[in-house]
Amino acid sequence: MHVKGRAIATWEWFVESAIRLAGILAIIFVLLIFAFLLRNALPIFRQVPVGNLLGGRFWRPTSEPAQFGMLPLLLGSLYVTLGALLIAVPLGLSCAVFASEVAPARLREVLKPLIELLAAIPSVVYGFLGLLLLGPWLANVLNLPVGQFAALGSLLLALMALPMIVSIAEDAIRAVPVALRHNSLALGATRWQTIIKVVVPAARSGIIAASLLGVGRAIGETMTVLMVTGNAAVIPQGLVGFFRPVRTMTATIAAEMGESAYQSSHYYALFAIGLMLFIITFVTNTLADVLVRRAGGVKT
Amino acid sequence: MVILLATDEAKNIIRPEGEIRLETIDLDMFYDDFQAVKQISIAIPSRRITALIGPSGCGKSSFLRCLNRMNDVIEGTRVQGKVLLDGEDIYSPDTDVVQLRRRVGMVFQTPNPFPMSIYDNIAYGPRLHGVRDRTQLDEIVEKSLRSAAIWDEVKDKLHQSATDLSGGQQQRLCIARVLAVEPEIVLMDEPCSALDPTATFRIEELMTELMENYTIIIVTHNMYQASRVSQYTGFFLMGELIEYDHTVRIFENPQDQRTDDYVRGRFG
Repeated sequence: MHVKGRAIATWEWFVESAIRLAGILAIIFVLLIFAFLLRNALPIFRQVPVGNLLGGRFWRPTSEPAQFGMLPLLLGSLYVTLGALLIAVPLGLSCAVFASEVAPARLREVLKPLIELLAAIPSVVYGFLGLLLLGPWLANVLNLPVGQFAALGSLLLALMALPMIVSIAEDAIRAVPVALRHNSLALGATRWQTIIKVVVPAARSGIIAASLLGVGRAIGETMTVLMVTGNAAVIPQGLVGFFRPVRTMTATIAAEMGESAYQSSHYYALFAIGLMLFIITFVTNTLADVLVRRAGGVKT
Repeated sequence: MVILLATDEAKNIIRPEGEIRLETIDLDMFYDDFQAVKQISIAIPSRRITALIGPSGCGKSSFLRCLNRMNDVIEGTRVQGKVLLDGEDIYSPDTDVVQLRRRVGMVFQTPNPFPMSIYDNIAYGPRLHGVRDRTQLDEIVEKSLRSAAIWDEVKDKLHQSATDLSGGQQQRLCIARVLAVEPEIVLMDEPCSALDPTATFRIEELMTELMENYTIIIVTHNMYQASRVSQYTGFFLMGELIEYDHTVRIFENPQDQRTDDYVRGRFG
Protein backbone atom coordinates (compact mmCIF):
# COMPACT_ATOMS: atom_id res chain seq x y z
CA MET A 1 0.00 0.00 0.00
CA HIS A 2 2.67 2.41 1.05
CA VAL A 3 4.97 1.40 -1.78
CA LYS A 4 2.15 1.65 -4.28
CA GLY A 5 1.34 5.13 -2.99
CA ARG A 6 4.91 6.21 -3.52
CA ALA A 7 4.97 4.73 -7.01
CA ILE A 8 1.90 6.72 -7.88
CA ALA A 9 3.44 9.86 -6.42
CA THR A 10 6.59 9.34 -8.49
CA TRP A 11 4.55 8.80 -11.60
CA GLU A 12 2.54 11.94 -10.86
CA TRP A 13 5.73 13.91 -10.42
CA PHE A 14 7.08 12.54 -13.69
CA VAL A 15 3.97 13.38 -15.71
CA GLU A 16 3.71 16.79 -14.13
CA SER A 17 7.33 17.60 -14.90
CA ALA A 18 7.03 16.38 -18.47
CA ILE A 19 3.99 18.54 -19.09
CA ARG A 20 5.60 21.53 -17.45
CA LEU A 21 8.71 21.06 -19.55
CA ALA A 22 6.63 20.88 -22.74
CA GLY A 23 4.83 24.07 -21.76
CA ILE A 24 8.02 25.91 -20.97
CA LEU A 25 9.67 24.64 -24.17
CA ALA A 26 6.96 26.25 -26.27
CA ILE A 27 7.70 29.59 -24.64
CA ILE A 28 11.44 29.06 -25.00
CA PHE A 29 11.06 28.34 -28.72
CA VAL A 30 9.20 31.58 -29.27
CA LEU A 31 11.83 33.49 -27.32
CA LEU A 32 14.63 31.78 -29.24
CA ILE A 33 13.04 32.61 -32.59
CA PHE A 34 12.64 36.19 -31.50
CA ALA A 35 16.26 36.34 -30.33
CA PHE A 36 17.48 34.79 -33.57
CA LEU A 37 15.52 37.27 -35.68
CA LEU A 38 16.69 40.15 -33.55
CA ARG A 39 20.36 39.12 -33.70
CA ASN A 40 20.30 38.79 -37.48
CA ALA A 41 18.27 41.94 -38.04
CA LEU A 42 20.20 44.26 -35.73
CA PRO A 43 23.20 44.93 -38.03
CA ILE A 44 21.00 46.56 -40.68
CA PHE A 45 19.73 49.04 -38.11
CA ARG A 46 23.35 50.08 -37.56
CA GLN A 47 24.00 50.44 -41.29
CA VAL A 48 20.77 52.17 -42.33
CA PRO A 49 18.77 54.65 -40.21
CA VAL A 50 15.45 53.22 -38.99
CA GLY A 51 13.56 56.00 -40.76
CA ASN A 52 15.05 55.02 -44.10
CA LEU A 53 14.28 51.37 -43.48
CA LEU A 54 10.64 51.74 -42.48
CA GLY A 55 9.81 54.86 -44.46
CA GLY A 56 12.02 54.38 -47.54
CA ARG A 57 10.05 54.32 -50.75
CA PHE A 58 12.40 52.04 -52.70
CA TRP A 59 13.35 48.45 -52.11
CA ARG A 60 16.40 47.99 -54.35
CA PRO A 61 18.65 45.63 -52.47
CA THR A 62 20.96 44.82 -55.38
CA SER A 63 21.47 48.23 -56.99
CA GLU A 64 24.43 50.49 -56.24
CA PRO A 65 24.01 51.94 -53.69
CA ALA A 66 21.48 49.46 -52.32
CA GLN A 67 18.20 50.85 -50.96
CA PHE A 68 16.28 49.05 -48.25
CA GLY A 69 13.03 51.03 -48.03
CA MET A 70 10.39 48.68 -46.65
CA LEU A 71 7.43 50.97 -47.29
CA PRO A 72 6.39 49.32 -50.58
CA LEU A 73 6.53 45.90 -48.92
CA LEU A 74 4.65 47.04 -45.81
CA LEU A 75 1.98 48.62 -47.97
CA GLY A 76 1.93 45.59 -50.24
CA SER A 77 1.22 43.36 -47.26
CA LEU A 78 -1.31 45.89 -45.97
CA TYR A 79 -3.20 45.98 -49.28
CA VAL A 80 -3.29 42.23 -49.67
CA THR A 81 -4.25 41.66 -46.03
CA LEU A 82 -6.83 44.43 -45.92
CA GLY A 83 -8.38 43.14 -49.11
CA ALA A 84 -8.47 39.62 -47.70
CA LEU A 85 -10.12 40.94 -44.56
CA LEU A 86 -12.74 42.87 -46.52
CA ILE A 87 -13.68 39.69 -48.33
CA ALA A 88 -13.24 37.12 -45.58
CA VAL A 89 -14.92 38.86 -42.63
CA PRO A 90 -18.34 39.54 -44.18
CA LEU A 91 -18.28 36.15 -45.86
CA GLY A 92 -17.06 34.32 -42.76
CA LEU A 93 -19.52 36.09 -40.49
CA SER A 94 -22.41 35.32 -42.81
CA CYS A 95 -21.32 31.69 -42.95
CA ALA A 96 -21.08 31.54 -39.17
CA VAL A 97 -24.50 33.13 -38.70
CA PHE A 98 -25.98 30.80 -41.28
CA ALA A 99 -24.39 27.73 -39.72
CA SER A 100 -25.34 28.56 -36.15
CA GLU A 101 -28.68 30.34 -36.50
CA VAL A 102 -30.33 29.48 -39.77
CA ALA A 103 -29.19 26.13 -41.12
CA PRO A 104 -31.08 23.04 -40.02
CA ALA A 105 -28.98 20.70 -37.90
CA ARG A 106 -28.36 18.24 -40.74
CA LEU A 107 -27.03 20.87 -43.12
CA ARG A 108 -24.82 22.28 -40.37
CA GLU A 109 -23.23 18.86 -39.90
CA VAL A 110 -22.16 18.90 -43.54
CA LEU A 111 -21.34 22.57 -43.83
CA LYS A 112 -18.69 22.86 -41.16
CA PRO A 113 -16.44 20.01 -42.30
CA LEU A 114 -16.72 21.32 -45.86
CA ILE A 115 -15.59 24.79 -44.86
CA GLU A 116 -12.83 23.30 -42.76
CA LEU A 117 -11.67 21.41 -45.84
CA LEU A 118 -10.61 24.76 -47.30
CA ALA A 119 -7.88 24.83 -44.66
CA ALA A 120 -6.60 21.45 -45.74
CA ILE A 121 -5.74 22.57 -49.26
CA PRO A 122 -2.01 23.39 -49.52
CA SER A 123 -1.28 27.05 -50.19
CA VAL A 124 0.68 26.22 -53.33
CA VAL A 125 -2.51 24.76 -54.79
CA TYR A 126 -4.30 28.03 -54.11
CA GLY A 127 -1.39 29.72 -55.84
CA PHE A 128 -1.77 27.53 -58.90
CA LEU A 129 -5.48 28.15 -58.96
CA GLY A 130 -4.91 31.89 -58.86
CA LEU A 131 -2.01 31.97 -61.29
CA LEU A 132 -3.47 29.77 -63.99
CA LEU A 133 -7.22 30.19 -63.69
CA LEU A 134 -8.54 33.00 -61.56
CA GLY A 135 -5.91 35.64 -62.42
CA PRO A 136 -6.12 35.52 -66.20
CA TRP A 137 -9.90 35.25 -66.04
CA LEU A 138 -10.28 38.24 -63.70
CA ALA A 139 -7.79 40.28 -65.74
CA ASN A 140 -9.87 39.56 -68.80
CA VAL A 141 -13.20 40.35 -67.17
CA LEU A 142 -12.02 43.45 -65.33
CA ASN A 143 -9.82 44.55 -68.20
CA LEU A 144 -6.62 44.68 -66.14
CA PRO A 145 -3.11 45.03 -67.59
CA VAL A 146 -1.82 41.92 -65.81
CA GLY A 147 -3.27 38.77 -64.27
CA GLN A 148 -1.24 39.08 -61.08
CA PHE A 149 -2.35 41.72 -58.63
CA ALA A 150 -3.01 42.48 -54.96
CA ALA A 151 -6.75 41.71 -54.92
CA LEU A 152 -6.15 38.28 -56.41
CA GLY A 153 -3.92 37.48 -53.46
CA SER A 154 -6.61 38.91 -51.17
CA LEU A 155 -9.25 36.68 -52.69
CA LEU A 156 -7.23 33.52 -52.25
CA LEU A 157 -6.09 34.47 -48.76
CA ALA A 158 -9.70 35.14 -47.86
CA LEU A 159 -10.58 31.60 -48.87
CA MET A 160 -7.72 30.28 -46.80
CA ALA A 161 -8.64 32.36 -43.75
CA LEU A 162 -12.32 31.51 -44.02
CA PRO A 163 -12.32 28.25 -42.03
CA MET A 164 -10.68 29.87 -39.03
CA ILE A 165 -12.98 32.88 -39.09
CA VAL A 166 -16.11 30.77 -39.54
CA SER A 167 -15.29 28.31 -36.83
CA ILE A 168 -14.29 30.87 -34.18
CA ALA A 169 -17.14 33.24 -35.02
CA GLU A 170 -19.59 30.35 -34.93
CA ASP A 171 -18.38 29.30 -31.49
CA ALA A 172 -18.80 32.87 -30.28
CA ILE A 173 -22.31 33.10 -31.70
CA ARG A 174 -23.31 29.78 -30.19
CA ALA A 175 -22.01 30.90 -26.81
CA VAL A 176 -24.62 33.68 -26.73
CA PRO A 177 -27.22 32.51 -24.20
CA VAL A 178 -30.45 31.19 -25.69
CA ALA A 179 -32.30 33.29 -23.12
CA LEU A 180 -31.12 36.49 -24.84
CA ARG A 181 -32.64 35.32 -28.10
CA HIS A 182 -35.89 34.43 -26.35
CA ASN A 183 -36.04 37.81 -24.65
CA SER A 184 -35.60 39.52 -27.97
CA LEU A 185 -38.24 37.39 -29.69
CA ALA A 186 -40.64 37.93 -26.81
CA LEU A 187 -40.34 41.68 -27.36
CA GLY A 188 -41.67 41.22 -30.85
CA ALA A 189 -38.38 41.02 -32.73
CA THR A 190 -38.17 38.81 -35.79
CA ARG A 191 -35.50 36.14 -35.96
CA TRP A 192 -33.44 38.30 -38.31
CA GLN A 193 -33.69 41.37 -36.05
CA THR A 194 -32.67 39.21 -33.12
CA ILE A 195 -29.58 37.97 -34.96
CA ILE A 196 -28.47 41.41 -36.11
CA LYS A 197 -29.29 43.43 -33.01
CA VAL A 198 -28.69 41.03 -30.16
CA VAL A 199 -26.82 37.88 -31.10
CA VAL A 200 -24.06 39.33 -33.27
CA PRO A 201 -23.37 42.29 -30.94
CA ALA A 202 -23.27 39.92 -27.97
CA ALA A 203 -20.70 37.80 -29.80
CA ARG A 204 -18.69 40.75 -31.07
CA SER A 205 -15.49 40.11 -29.09
CA GLY A 206 -15.32 36.61 -30.49
CA ILE A 207 -16.05 37.86 -33.98
CA ILE A 208 -13.35 40.52 -33.78
CA ALA A 209 -10.93 37.92 -32.44
CA ALA A 210 -11.81 35.63 -35.34
CA SER A 211 -11.10 38.44 -37.78
CA LEU A 212 -7.78 39.24 -36.13
CA LEU A 213 -6.69 35.62 -36.27
CA GLY A 214 -7.69 35.71 -39.91
CA VAL A 215 -5.41 38.73 -40.36
CA GLY A 216 -2.58 36.88 -38.67
CA ARG A 217 -3.11 34.01 -41.06
CA ALA A 218 -3.28 36.27 -44.11
CA ILE A 219 -0.31 38.45 -43.31
CA GLY A 220 1.96 35.48 -42.70
CA GLU A 221 0.94 33.55 -45.80
CA THR A 222 3.76 33.35 -48.32
CA MET A 223 3.50 30.86 -51.14
CA THR A 224 0.16 31.95 -52.55
CA VAL A 225 0.94 35.65 -52.56
CA LEU A 226 4.37 35.00 -54.00
CA MET A 227 2.70 33.24 -56.91
CA VAL A 228 -0.20 35.56 -57.63
CA THR A 229 0.54 39.13 -56.61
CA GLY A 230 3.08 39.96 -59.24
CA ASN A 231 6.10 40.74 -57.06
CA ALA A 232 6.57 44.37 -57.99
CA ALA A 233 8.02 46.30 -55.07
CA VAL A 234 6.17 49.49 -55.83
CA ILE A 235 4.03 51.60 -53.55
CA PRO A 236 0.36 50.81 -54.33
CA GLN A 237 -1.71 53.88 -55.13
CA GLY A 238 -5.30 54.34 -53.97
CA LEU A 239 -8.01 51.89 -54.90
CA VAL A 240 -6.42 51.06 -58.22
CA GLY A 241 -3.53 49.67 -56.20
CA PHE A 242 -5.65 46.63 -55.41
CA PHE A 243 -5.62 45.74 -59.10
CA ARG A 244 -1.91 46.26 -59.73
CA PRO A 245 1.02 44.02 -58.88
CA VAL A 246 2.42 44.45 -55.38
CA ARG A 247 4.95 42.65 -53.29
CA THR A 248 4.40 41.57 -49.73
CA MET A 249 6.92 41.22 -46.93
CA THR A 250 6.64 37.45 -46.88
CA ALA A 251 7.07 37.10 -50.63
CA THR A 252 10.18 39.30 -50.49
CA ILE A 253 11.84 37.10 -47.89
CA ALA A 254 10.94 33.91 -49.73
CA ALA A 255 12.07 35.21 -53.10
CA GLU A 256 15.32 36.85 -52.03
CA MET A 257 16.69 34.84 -49.14
CA GLY A 258 18.35 32.36 -51.47
CA GLU A 259 20.06 35.08 -53.49
CA SER A 260 21.37 37.30 -50.73
CA ALA A 261 24.95 36.84 -49.65
CA TYR A 262 25.36 35.50 -46.14
CA GLN A 263 25.66 38.37 -43.63
CA SER A 264 25.40 41.03 -46.28
CA SER A 265 23.27 44.12 -45.71
CA HIS A 266 20.61 42.54 -47.90
CA TYR A 267 20.64 39.43 -45.71
CA TYR A 268 20.20 41.50 -42.54
CA ALA A 269 17.48 43.59 -44.15
CA LEU A 270 15.48 40.46 -44.93
CA PHE A 271 15.72 39.49 -41.30
CA ALA A 272 14.49 42.94 -40.37
CA ILE A 273 11.42 42.24 -42.49
CA GLY A 274 11.01 38.94 -40.68
CA LEU A 275 11.22 40.76 -37.37
CA MET A 276 8.52 43.19 -38.47
CA LEU A 277 6.29 40.29 -39.47
CA PHE A 278 6.90 38.58 -36.18
CA ILE A 279 5.94 41.71 -34.26
CA ILE A 280 2.81 42.29 -36.34
CA THR A 281 1.50 38.75 -36.01
CA PHE A 282 2.45 38.65 -32.33
CA VAL A 283 0.43 41.79 -31.65
CA THR A 284 -2.63 40.67 -33.64
CA ASN A 285 -2.60 37.22 -32.06
CA THR A 286 -2.24 38.61 -28.56
CA LEU A 287 -5.07 41.03 -29.18
CA ALA A 288 -7.23 38.23 -30.53
CA ASP A 289 -6.38 36.10 -27.52
CA VAL A 290 -7.42 38.84 -25.11
CA LEU A 291 -10.70 39.29 -26.97
CA VAL A 292 -11.44 35.57 -27.06
CA ARG A 293 -10.91 35.44 -23.33
CA ARG A 294 -13.19 38.40 -22.82
CA ALA A 295 -15.80 36.79 -25.05
CA GLY A 296 -15.57 33.71 -22.84
CA GLY A 297 -16.47 35.84 -19.86
CA VAL A 298 -19.71 36.99 -21.46
CA LYS A 299 -21.13 33.48 -21.58
CA THR A 300 -22.84 33.41 -18.14
CA MET B 1 -70.77 35.02 -8.04
CA VAL B 2 -69.07 32.03 -9.59
CA ILE B 3 -70.27 30.24 -12.69
CA LEU B 4 -68.99 26.79 -13.46
CA LEU B 5 -67.81 26.22 -17.00
CA ALA B 6 -70.32 24.05 -18.78
CA THR B 7 -67.60 22.08 -20.56
CA ASP B 8 -66.17 20.48 -17.48
CA GLU B 9 -68.38 20.57 -14.46
CA ALA B 10 -66.33 18.08 -12.57
CA LYS B 11 -63.54 20.58 -12.23
CA ASN B 12 -63.70 23.56 -10.00
CA ILE B 13 -62.97 26.17 -12.59
CA ILE B 14 -64.71 29.51 -12.39
CA ARG B 15 -65.13 32.23 -14.96
CA PRO B 16 -64.01 35.48 -13.34
CA GLU B 17 -66.34 38.46 -13.33
CA GLY B 18 -65.51 41.56 -15.31
CA GLU B 19 -63.80 41.99 -18.63
CA ILE B 20 -62.15 38.96 -20.21
CA ARG B 21 -59.93 39.51 -23.22
CA LEU B 22 -57.77 36.43 -23.05
CA GLU B 23 -59.00 32.90 -22.73
CA THR B 24 -58.01 29.42 -23.80
CA ILE B 25 -60.31 26.66 -24.94
CA ASP B 26 -59.28 23.01 -24.66
CA LEU B 27 -55.63 23.86 -25.06
CA ASP B 28 -53.16 20.99 -25.47
CA MET B 29 -49.42 21.37 -25.84
CA PHE B 30 -46.93 18.65 -26.70
CA TYR B 31 -43.18 18.31 -26.65
CA ASP B 32 -42.81 15.66 -29.33
CA ASP B 33 -44.81 12.79 -27.78
CA PHE B 34 -45.05 14.18 -24.29
CA GLN B 35 -48.18 16.11 -23.51
CA ALA B 36 -47.27 18.96 -21.17
CA VAL B 37 -50.56 20.82 -21.21
CA LYS B 38 -53.91 19.00 -21.19
CA GLN B 39 -57.24 20.42 -22.22
CA ILE B 40 -56.90 23.73 -20.46
CA SER B 41 -59.82 26.11 -20.59
CA ILE B 42 -59.31 29.23 -18.58
CA ALA B 43 -60.51 32.83 -18.76
CA ILE B 44 -58.07 35.52 -17.65
CA PRO B 45 -59.58 38.64 -16.05
CA SER B 46 -58.36 41.97 -17.43
CA ARG B 47 -56.36 44.27 -15.15
CA ARG B 48 -55.99 41.66 -12.48
CA ILE B 49 -53.17 39.44 -11.41
CA THR B 50 -53.73 35.77 -12.07
CA ALA B 51 -51.31 33.34 -10.46
CA LEU B 52 -50.62 29.88 -11.80
CA ILE B 53 -49.26 27.53 -9.17
CA GLY B 54 -48.34 23.87 -9.01
CA PRO B 55 -45.37 21.57 -8.51
CA SER B 56 -42.40 21.51 -10.90
CA GLY B 57 -43.19 20.00 -14.26
CA CYS B 58 -46.93 20.54 -13.90
CA GLY B 59 -47.09 22.39 -17.21
CA LYS B 60 -47.74 25.89 -15.89
CA SER B 61 -44.72 27.46 -17.61
CA SER B 62 -45.42 25.55 -20.82
CA PHE B 63 -48.97 26.82 -20.67
CA LEU B 64 -47.78 30.38 -20.11
CA ARG B 65 -45.54 30.22 -23.18
CA CYS B 66 -48.53 29.15 -25.27
CA LEU B 67 -50.08 32.54 -24.61
CA ASN B 68 -47.51 34.51 -26.61
CA ARG B 69 -46.46 31.62 -28.83
CA MET B 70 -42.99 31.45 -27.31
CA ASN B 71 -43.24 27.69 -27.64
CA ASP B 72 -42.91 28.23 -31.38
CA VAL B 73 -39.18 28.77 -30.97
CA ILE B 74 -38.66 25.44 -29.21
CA GLU B 75 -38.25 22.59 -31.66
CA GLY B 76 -40.73 19.74 -31.48
CA THR B 77 -43.58 21.59 -29.80
CA ARG B 78 -47.14 21.35 -31.02
CA VAL B 79 -50.30 23.08 -29.87
CA GLN B 80 -53.96 22.11 -30.23
CA GLY B 81 -57.02 23.99 -29.11
CA LYS B 82 -57.56 27.71 -29.00
CA VAL B 83 -56.09 30.76 -27.38
CA LEU B 84 -58.45 33.66 -27.89
CA LEU B 85 -57.17 37.20 -27.58
CA ASP B 86 -60.04 39.64 -28.06
CA GLY B 87 -61.97 36.75 -29.58
CA GLU B 88 -59.34 35.90 -32.19
CA ASP B 89 -57.37 32.68 -32.13
CA ILE B 90 -53.68 33.51 -31.90
CA TYR B 91 -52.85 30.13 -33.44
CA SER B 92 -54.80 30.83 -36.61
CA PRO B 93 -52.56 30.94 -39.70
CA ASP B 94 -53.01 34.66 -40.31
CA THR B 95 -51.78 35.72 -36.86
CA ASP B 96 -48.86 38.12 -36.93
CA VAL B 97 -46.66 36.60 -34.24
CA VAL B 98 -44.51 39.71 -33.97
CA GLN B 99 -47.60 41.82 -33.34
CA LEU B 100 -48.91 39.25 -30.86
CA ARG B 101 -45.73 39.33 -28.80
CA ARG B 102 -45.95 43.10 -28.69
CA ARG B 103 -49.39 42.81 -27.16
CA VAL B 104 -48.50 39.94 -24.86
CA GLY B 105 -45.15 40.69 -23.22
CA MET B 106 -43.10 38.24 -21.21
CA VAL B 107 -40.78 38.47 -18.23
CA PHE B 108 -38.52 35.46 -17.85
CA GLN B 109 -37.29 33.51 -14.88
CA THR B 110 -33.74 34.84 -14.92
CA PRO B 111 -33.21 38.47 -15.78
CA ASN B 112 -31.40 38.71 -19.09
CA PRO B 113 -30.50 42.25 -20.00
CA PHE B 114 -29.00 42.55 -23.48
CA PRO B 115 -25.27 43.33 -23.39
CA MET B 116 -25.84 46.99 -24.17
CA SER B 117 -26.60 50.15 -22.20
CA ILE B 118 -29.62 50.50 -19.91
CA TYR B 119 -31.08 53.03 -22.33
CA ASP B 120 -30.61 50.80 -25.36
CA ASN B 121 -32.16 47.86 -23.52
CA ILE B 122 -35.37 49.80 -22.94
CA ALA B 123 -35.34 51.43 -26.36
CA TYR B 124 -34.80 48.05 -28.04
CA GLY B 125 -38.48 47.16 -28.40
CA PRO B 126 -39.73 50.61 -29.46
CA ARG B 127 -36.91 50.86 -32.00
CA LEU B 128 -37.89 47.50 -33.44
CA HIS B 129 -41.36 48.81 -33.89
CA GLY B 130 -40.19 51.89 -35.71
CA VAL B 131 -39.76 54.62 -33.10
CA ARG B 132 -36.74 56.65 -34.24
CA ASP B 133 -37.37 60.08 -32.76
CA ARG B 134 -34.88 60.77 -29.98
CA THR B 135 -37.17 62.77 -27.71
CA GLN B 136 -39.92 60.22 -28.08
CA LEU B 137 -37.48 57.43 -27.20
CA ASP B 138 -36.23 59.43 -24.21
CA GLU B 139 -39.81 59.72 -22.99
CA ILE B 140 -40.54 56.03 -23.44
CA VAL B 141 -37.34 55.07 -21.62
CA GLU B 142 -38.08 57.33 -18.67
CA LYS B 143 -41.73 56.33 -18.46
CA SER B 144 -40.94 52.61 -18.64
CA LEU B 145 -38.18 52.81 -16.06
CA ARG B 146 -40.47 54.81 -13.75
CA SER B 147 -43.28 52.28 -14.18
CA ALA B 148 -40.87 49.51 -13.29
CA ALA B 149 -39.77 51.45 -10.18
CA ILE B 150 -36.13 51.57 -11.16
CA TRP B 151 -35.80 55.08 -12.63
CA ASP B 152 -34.30 56.66 -9.53
CA GLU B 153 -31.61 54.01 -9.31
CA VAL B 154 -30.48 54.24 -12.92
CA LYS B 155 -31.34 57.73 -14.15
CA ASP B 156 -27.73 58.89 -13.79
CA LYS B 157 -26.23 55.94 -15.59
CA LEU B 158 -28.57 55.30 -18.49
CA HIS B 159 -25.67 54.87 -20.85
CA GLN B 160 -23.77 52.39 -18.75
CA SER B 161 -23.94 48.68 -19.35
CA ALA B 162 -27.13 47.03 -18.11
CA THR B 163 -25.25 43.87 -17.20
CA ASP B 164 -23.53 45.70 -14.30
CA LEU B 165 -26.82 46.08 -12.39
CA SER B 166 -27.75 43.79 -9.49
CA GLY B 167 -30.04 40.82 -10.10
CA GLY B 168 -33.11 42.58 -8.72
CA GLN B 169 -32.38 45.72 -10.72
CA GLN B 170 -31.85 43.62 -13.84
CA GLN B 171 -35.26 42.00 -13.40
CA ARG B 172 -36.95 45.38 -12.98
CA LEU B 173 -35.03 46.53 -16.06
CA CYS B 174 -36.41 43.55 -17.96
CA ILE B 175 -39.91 44.46 -16.78
CA ALA B 176 -39.33 48.03 -17.96
CA ARG B 177 -38.12 46.67 -21.28
CA VAL B 178 -41.38 44.78 -21.66
CA LEU B 179 -43.46 47.80 -20.62
CA ALA B 180 -41.68 49.94 -23.21
CA VAL B 181 -43.51 48.16 -26.03
CA GLU B 182 -46.81 48.87 -24.24
CA PRO B 183 -48.21 45.39 -24.04
CA GLU B 184 -51.75 44.73 -22.86
CA ILE B 185 -50.87 41.54 -21.08
CA VAL B 186 -47.68 40.74 -19.20
CA LEU B 187 -46.73 37.11 -18.66
CA MET B 188 -44.30 36.49 -15.82
CA ASP B 189 -42.55 33.16 -15.62
CA GLU B 190 -41.31 32.83 -12.04
CA PRO B 191 -39.90 36.36 -12.17
CA CYS B 192 -38.55 36.24 -8.64
CA SER B 193 -37.03 32.80 -8.47
CA ALA B 194 -33.51 34.16 -9.01
CA LEU B 195 -33.92 37.07 -6.61
CA ASP B 196 -33.35 37.66 -2.91
CA PRO B 197 -36.30 38.50 -0.58
CA THR B 198 -35.80 42.28 -0.78
CA ALA B 199 -35.74 42.28 -4.56
CA THR B 200 -38.71 39.90 -4.58
CA PHE B 201 -40.66 42.27 -2.38
CA ARG B 202 -39.97 45.15 -4.74
CA ILE B 203 -41.12 43.15 -7.77
CA GLU B 204 -44.30 42.15 -5.94
CA GLU B 205 -45.01 45.77 -5.04
CA LEU B 206 -44.40 46.68 -8.62
CA MET B 207 -46.83 44.06 -9.89
CA THR B 208 -49.57 45.48 -7.72
CA GLU B 209 -48.90 48.93 -9.17
CA LEU B 210 -48.89 47.60 -12.71
CA MET B 211 -52.22 45.87 -12.23
CA GLU B 212 -53.98 49.20 -12.77
CA ASN B 213 -52.98 49.22 -16.42
CA TYR B 214 -51.99 45.70 -17.29
CA THR B 215 -53.34 42.21 -17.18
CA ILE B 216 -50.75 40.08 -15.44
CA ILE B 217 -50.34 36.34 -15.37
CA ILE B 218 -47.63 35.05 -13.09
CA VAL B 219 -46.31 31.54 -12.83
CA THR B 220 -44.82 30.95 -9.44
CA HIS B 221 -43.44 28.18 -7.29
CA ASN B 222 -43.97 30.31 -4.28
CA MET B 223 -47.46 29.89 -2.86
CA TYR B 224 -47.05 32.81 -0.49
CA GLN B 225 -46.24 34.98 -3.45
CA ALA B 226 -49.38 33.83 -5.22
CA SER B 227 -51.49 34.54 -2.16
CA ARG B 228 -49.85 37.95 -1.63
CA VAL B 229 -50.14 39.40 -5.09
CA SER B 230 -52.91 37.71 -7.06
CA GLN B 231 -56.68 37.98 -7.15
CA TYR B 232 -57.20 34.72 -9.02
CA THR B 233 -55.23 31.52 -8.78
CA GLY B 234 -55.12 28.44 -10.95
CA PHE B 235 -53.69 25.18 -9.62
CA PHE B 236 -51.95 22.97 -12.18
CA LEU B 237 -51.09 19.32 -11.75
CA MET B 238 -49.63 16.98 -14.36
CA GLY B 239 -50.58 19.29 -17.19
CA GLU B 240 -54.16 19.78 -16.05
CA LEU B 241 -55.87 22.75 -14.52
CA ILE B 242 -57.32 21.27 -11.35
CA GLU B 243 -58.90 24.31 -9.80
CA TYR B 244 -59.25 27.98 -10.69
CA ASP B 245 -60.87 30.45 -8.39
CA HIS B 246 -60.44 33.60 -6.34
CA THR B 247 -57.07 33.40 -4.67
CA VAL B 248 -58.64 33.63 -1.24
CA ARG B 249 -60.79 30.60 -1.92
CA ILE B 250 -57.94 28.57 -3.38
CA PHE B 251 -55.88 29.11 -0.27
CA GLU B 252 -58.58 29.06 2.38
CA ASN B 253 -61.29 26.84 1.05
CA PRO B 254 -60.19 24.82 -1.96
CA GLN B 255 -62.78 22.50 -3.43
CA ASP B 256 -60.45 19.82 -4.72
CA GLN B 257 -58.58 17.58 -2.33
CA ARG B 258 -55.39 17.81 -4.41
CA THR B 259 -55.44 21.61 -4.28
CA ASP B 260 -55.95 21.43 -0.57
CA ASP B 261 -53.00 19.07 -0.19
CA TYR B 262 -50.76 21.30 -2.29
CA VAL B 263 -51.55 24.64 -0.69
CA ARG B 264 -51.17 23.11 2.75
CA GLY B 265 -47.75 21.91 1.75
CA ARG B 266 -48.49 18.20 1.84
CA PHE B 267 -46.67 17.71 -1.48
CA GLY B 268 -44.94 19.69 -4.20
